[in-house]
Amino acid sequence: MITLKAVNKSEAVRYLGGAGVQMNEAMERLLGECEAELLSCAAPKYLYSVIDLPCDEITMGSAVKKHLAGCQSAALFCATLGAQVDRLIRVYQIRDMARAVVLDSLASAAIEQACVMADEEIAAKLPGKYLTFRFSPGYGDYPLELQRIILQRLDAARKIGLTVSDSMLLTPAKSVTAVMGISDSPIEQKRRGCAVCSLGKTCKYRKSGEHCGL
Amino acid sequence: MDFNTLLKKEYIILDGAMGTLIQKSGAQYDHSPETLNLTRPELIESFHRAYIEAGADIVYANTFGANAYKLADSGYSVEEVIAAGVQNAKNAAAGTDALVALDIGPIGMLLEPAGTLRFEEAYEYFRQQIVAGAQADVIVLETMTDLYELKAAVLAVKENSSKPVLTTMTFERSGRTFTGVSPAAAAVTLTGLGVDALGVNCSLGPDELEPVISEMTKYTDLPLIVKANAGLPDPNSNEYSIMPDRFAQCVEGLLKYGVKFAGGCCGTTPEYIKELKQMLDGKSFVPCPKTADTAVCSASTVVEINGPRIIGERINPTGKKLFKQALVDNNIDYILTQALSQVGGGAEILDVNVGHPEIDEKKMMTRVLKSIQSVCDAPLQIDSTKPDVLEAGLRCYNGKPIVNSVNGEEKSLSSVLPLVKKYGASVVGLTLDENGIPKTADGRFRIAERIVSRAEALGIDRRDVYIDCLTLTVSAEQEACRETLKALHRVKTELGCKTCLGVSNISFGLPNRELVNSTFLTMALEEGLDLPIINPNVEAMTGAVRAYRVLASIDKHSTEFIEAYNSAAPAPAAKSETTMDLTTAVYNGLKTEAAAVTEALLKDSEPMSIINNMLIPALDRVGEDFEKNKIFLPQLIQSANTAQECFEVIKRRLSKEGGENVSKGKIILATVKGDIHDIGKNIVKVLLDNYGYTVVDLGKDVDPQLVVDTAIEQNIKMIGLSALMTTTLKSMEDTIRLVREAPALQNPDGTSRCVVFVGGAVLTREYAMKIGADYYCRDAKESVDTAKKVLG
Repeated sequence: MITLKAVNKSEAVRYLGGAGVQMNEAMERLLGECEAELLSCAAPKYLYSVIDLPCDEITMGSAVKKHLAGCQSAALFCATLGAQVDRLIRVYQIRDMARAVVLDSLASAAIEQACVMADEEIAAKLPGKYLTFRFSPGYGDYPLELQRIILQRLDAARKIGLTVSDSMLLTPAKSVTAVMGISDSPIEQKRRGCAVCSLGKTCKYRKSGEHCGL
Repeated sequence: MDFNTLLKKEYIILDGAMGTLIQKSGAQYDHSPETLNLTRPELIESFHRAYIEAGADIVYANTFGANAYKLADSGYSVEEVIAAGVQNAKNAAAGTDALVALDIGPIGMLLEPAGTLRFEEAYEYFRQQIVAGAQADVIVLETMTDLYELKAAVLAVKENSSKPVLTTMTFERSGRTFTGVSPAAAAVTLTGLGVDALGVNCSLGPDELEPVISEMTKYTDLPLIVKANAGLPDPNSNEYSIMPDRFAQCVEGLLKYGVKFAGGCCGTTPEYIKELKQMLDGKSFVPCPKTADTAVCSASTVVEINGPRIIGERINPTGKKLFKQALVDNNIDYILTQALSQVGGGAEILDVNVGHPEIDEKKMMTRVLKSIQSVCDAPLQIDSTKPDVLEAGLRCYNGKPIVNSVNGEEKSLSSVLPLVKKYGASVVGLTLDENGIPKTADGRFRIAERIVSRAEALGIDRRDVYIDCLTLTVSAEQEACRETLKALHRVKTELGCKTCLGVSNISFGLPNRELVNSTFLTMALEEGLDLPIINPNVEAMTGAVRAYRVLASIDKHSTEFIEAYNSAAPAPAAKSETTMDLTTAVYNGLKTEAAAVTEALLKDSEPMSIINNMLIPALDRVGEDFEKNKIFLPQLIQSANTAQECFEVIKRRLSKEGGENVSKGKIILATVKGDIHDIGKNIVKVLLDNYGYTVVDLGKDVDPQLVVDTAIEQNIKMIGLSALMTTTLKSMEDTIRLVREAPALQNPDGTSRCVVFVGGAVLTREYAMKIGADYYCRDAKESVDTAKKVLG
């Protein structure tokens, strides 16, 4: 059970394309109002389950194999902010697009925060084990189809209302699926980095010489 | 034993979990547990038998996930898996009184608007299961979290079978389902749709269900179902927290709410069912009649008609030029804005009328209803003179709507009332017939009586008939006002019906119409008007209703009144109109000021000169600053919205003068098939709008053919497409190809008449060119630049 008390606003500002943009009072206020509204309707939830490795169904492609190298088991993971966040953003796309854009960025920051909190809870339940970072379908050659398999294995539709469409979009939108390697011995901490990222050269941060931080 | 005989029992015991037994047995299956129906029939049969021996009156066949979506790669057909599942249960029930239920769970994909699965597609999945399960005695729809999906399933049952149907939904601790459905809305909607019993299953333990069950029972007379989990699972051991005896105790505590069906869900075993049976033995059913008045609802919000409730009248093209244009242009956002602003003004229900000779009303009605429901919680009133439009609307509506309307004419009674019954709606009954509107109150009362008796003959509760005694124009017939009020009073007191009334007709032809309208409204409220149909954004009208609620002691302690008025900050006094120049106002996103300055400027400037010399340069400056990373995207949007406000002021002036059109050209925008993330497309839309282009927004998940058809029909030369995911880029490519191939969109020399620009997170310029686009636009600003280049 995780609860968000605040959203990482500087992260959201970065999603808004804001590195280097001068903040002003009006923007600060807008961010604050949107944060309060987002927190009032976000219902972060996550699921995980530990599987033994090797597991062919889960380890498709070379990127994930590399990621899980040296791990004896793995945690399947998914998380969502819930359907009400999608609706909130949809409503503001009609009422006030500027707010919708801010809410969308805040929600992206919030789901990552929720995942980090979940990571910590999971790690605490696996004492003596070492976890890799969350590796998501779409990274490198890890197929998006894995979203469906992960969600099915976790019974996510029934348990937290998280589903995937035929075209592999997660609904609710502010959601994550991933797999984390679990090892008995310390693992070299790999960063996610651009090399495995599905955005590749199209990433707007990379184009401007920045990094998304993941 | 058949279901009706079974219903005579005091309590009906349902089975416990199937999945838990399968898991405990360690039985292996390849794809989904339902395939065990074919690979391990004897095992599944033994589970059913165990439940029957424990006391279950109804066992659920192992068919929960046996739909075409979930079984897609299993190697088995829906028909095979379901037939075998039902047969296994039948074998176990043979020689006993137990009945077999075809068990149907959610499809596993989210329906529109949150997901991509269309209502009609969901219906088809369910229909297939229902036909395949023809041998079952009962149909169960369970573990539903989306009322819309459940409605598709109930309709599929009703239209393809005559079996009884039991429905249960799954609620969270918040008291709502994942999609935000409230227990009250579920009860109101499902009771209307004619299910045989309703209730809850899964998710929570029986110790946590009291809030949900006690709310449901207020809104229905149907028997309730409780099929709870055995508490919560321990994530490590997967053991559940509530033991059989405690489980039965908790269920016992819920019996007072009219629970007649009890069983178990996840974590329960035959032990639990045995305990339930022991607890229920010798007990009598406790009926729990509904306490709520007639109500209508969306999936999340129930409006009980237990006092005056405001119906917003603004979604109606009659006499509104801009609204008509929005319908012709498919400008759904315009209508959505109207919806949200009425709710903001105090409307609790919204009337929806999209009748216009130049459009396909049926298509538009379903599109508008679905769109409004995706952003607005208020229940809706489906308003059309055409029964086929009403039916299309009723079918796709999520919740219990009002039908507007039926009248005393035979043709109307016989075509509209059966629809109201079938789809479980309320209906407005107009007191007119073949002979027009009776002059006297007595004449109108008699028509009301006729409508009510016809409704009741079909099984429609008279409290679901909202009689409209019709407002006539007082300047033409001064006595008519009294007759309307007299009729209204009699309908309310003698027929026991709710009443509604369109108010503003009263004042046609008079000065100070608002004063006449609000006075008439107050008089009508005092005579018993429940549902005034008004413009909620006229403060005097909404205020009259709110004040009446206080004075009639409906709004207890004046809570709602104080909430509406106490916190409302007085509107900031408009700044002196001349102190700010238009460019500054637009740059800083100050809507009110910018509109005021524009009004002032229009007194002595040409509209086009304001646009070209002030608005566009201001927008250009904002755009440049955005490109230079000086301002944020939301600021760009705010400025653009402010410019839009100014354009509106100018447009209104021009349409008054009947002058030139300010549109700089039409552009189609669509988020491609399969893609539902359309915020990027919507940002582009706002900017293009604000730069003076007319955007034909086809929405999200758009079929390629629709893009082509719209381009041809409306002779549009510029098309913008967005896609978010690598998986949907293919749809983008398909759409472009179809546009290029359509002969009607080609020049005589075979070249394309349409310019296609594309954008989206995963696109690159190279890829855009490869799939045949003319332009790649990095962001909304670049889309505007492209439009300028192409259309000027």
